[in-house]
Amino acid sequence: MPVAGIDIGSTMTKVVILHDNGEIAGSLVGPTGAEHRRLAYRVIKEALSLTGMGADDLAYIVATGYGRLNCPFADRHVTEITCHARGVKAAFPSARLIIDIGGQDSKGIKLDEAGKITDFVMNDKCAAGTGRFLEVIADTLGIELGRMGDISAQAKEAVKIANTCTVFAELEVTARLAEGVPVADICAGLHDAIASRIASMVRHLKVEGEVVVTGGGAKNTGLTSALSRKLGCEVQVPKEPFLTGAWGAAIIAKTLVDRGERGKMDRKWAEVTFFQ
Amino acid sequence: MGGGNLLPVNVWLGIDMGSSSIKGVLAANDELIAGVILPVVGNYRKQAERVMEMVVEEGQVSVEDVKGVGVTGVGSEGIEVKGPRFSEVAAHVRGVMAFYPHVRTVIDIGSQFTRAIVTDGGGKVRDFIVSEKCATGSGRFLQIMARILHIDVSEMGPLSLKALHPVEFSTGCAVFAESEAISRIAEGAKPEDIVAGVHRAMASKVEMLMRRVKWEPPVALVGGGGEDTGLLRAIEEVLKINILVPLQPRLMGAFGAACLAANSHAPIS
Repeated sequence: MPVAGIDIGSTMTKVVILHDNGEIAGSLVGPTGAEHRRLAYRVIKEALSLTGMGADDLAYIVATGYGRLNCPFADRHVTEITCHARGVKAAFPSARLIIDIGGQDSKGIKLDEAGKITDFVMNDKCAAGTGRFLEVIADTLGIELGRMGDISAQAKEAVKIANTCTVFAELEVTARLAEGVPVADICAGLHDAIASRIASMVRHLKVEGEVVVTGGGAKNTGLTSALSRKLGCEVQVPKEPFLTGAWGAAIIAKTLVDRGERGKMDRKWAEVTFFQ
Repeated sequence: MGGGNLLPVNVWLGIDMGSSSIKGVLAANDELIAGVILPVVGNYRKQAERVMEMVVEEGQVSVEDVKGVGVTGVGSEGIEVKGPRFSEVAAHVRGVMAFYPHVRTVIDIGSQFTRAIVTDGGGKVRDFIVSEKCATGSGRFLQIMARILHIDVSEMGPLSLKALHPVEFSTGCAVFAESEAISRIAEGAKPEDIVAGVHRAMASKVEMLMRRVKWEPPVALVGGGGEDTGLLRAIEEVLKINILVPLQPRLMGAFGAACLAANSHAPIS
């Protein structure tokens, strides 16, 4: 029977459904919003309907991410660090470092040759170095977050952003705009700033070898190439960097089912549907 | 204070080029006789010139009566005047000393910088610390929160004093606190409890700075933060003392620059 992984992040909820044979049957990304439970349910139901399945077809559900405990219908909760490592290992067997750039935190996960987690670092204390930094400043620049990568590719000379703090960097950007500095140069400067912040965070892990970037931040080509420059190696990006955690969760679900574990007979969907 | 209608003698002008506002002051014999504050908009230098013209007008003196100018502030390079430049630390201490000669520690909360300055009791700076890397300790944090609450920054103090259950933020980051506040408002948290929570978060940052400079009482609070009674109370609570606030706390830098300029030209007899 098929299994599902659901990754409830601070801004996005991601679902991956796997067939019996381990192939991806379907996946979906939706906003998390304020009501985790209801939205998690909605995203998983929509993903199921896209694959032509019903809620009762799922043998096992693994929930991960910041909102994983708000998922009463899941059979098991697994940390996002474990799930990311599993998802990355499936696509990049030789990966030694995962950099996950999420909406409200960023992480560095160190893996050994077998893909086992040996160490990790995390920043969730300060918006600098997270997707939130780019989100706030894209808004100030009046451009879509998704376009920042392409725009920064047009840069002639990246602007130096002196402030680490998102709030002050925003003021700095406003001042540069007033001086007539091209938006492309500002975008490139912002990518450099966030990349150096992340690079200095993962430097503590002392990693050599293949680096894979996941999370929403990995979708930004300007940011990933800035990271490649700062780290001195070409970073790898999965095809669907958003889904790595959910995919890893689904792989874990399948492994558990293969080992003979069984999911809940009576999933508490109703508890979700009537959640206030 | 000196009567405004008397012809002041020995008048000096002080100007404080801040990151969000420019302050101008006229001082005579260590008394503040006029003050003007304009926001930083448009041309920085022209705005500074306007401040100087306005303060001279407000003080009812003629330009010829002004003996000289003292300049301070993070943007002090942005103005062309003949006159000495003073560090923000020196200017603020001097301004506060003219009001409260016995003060030992000065807290200055501006829009982008927060400073804690300890003196030796004789007006000499013993140590100071500046927080400029993180918005949580700065006035900017108040502006962000005022925006999401749809209130003016000036309303935050009185509102905060009404709070019964101040919100405790789980984050020390102004950006994350903004989202946290938005969810708390959606959950029904009262605006006064949000504001009081912001004041407490700022106060704990200030307390950290104060500990690092080994503060000593009496303490004075100046800068825009001094106009916020809620923030004042929150800092008083964490430091467990009463804090002195001059009548026009935002003008202390400019006032101090004027006093210092006067001192540097006129030897004290």
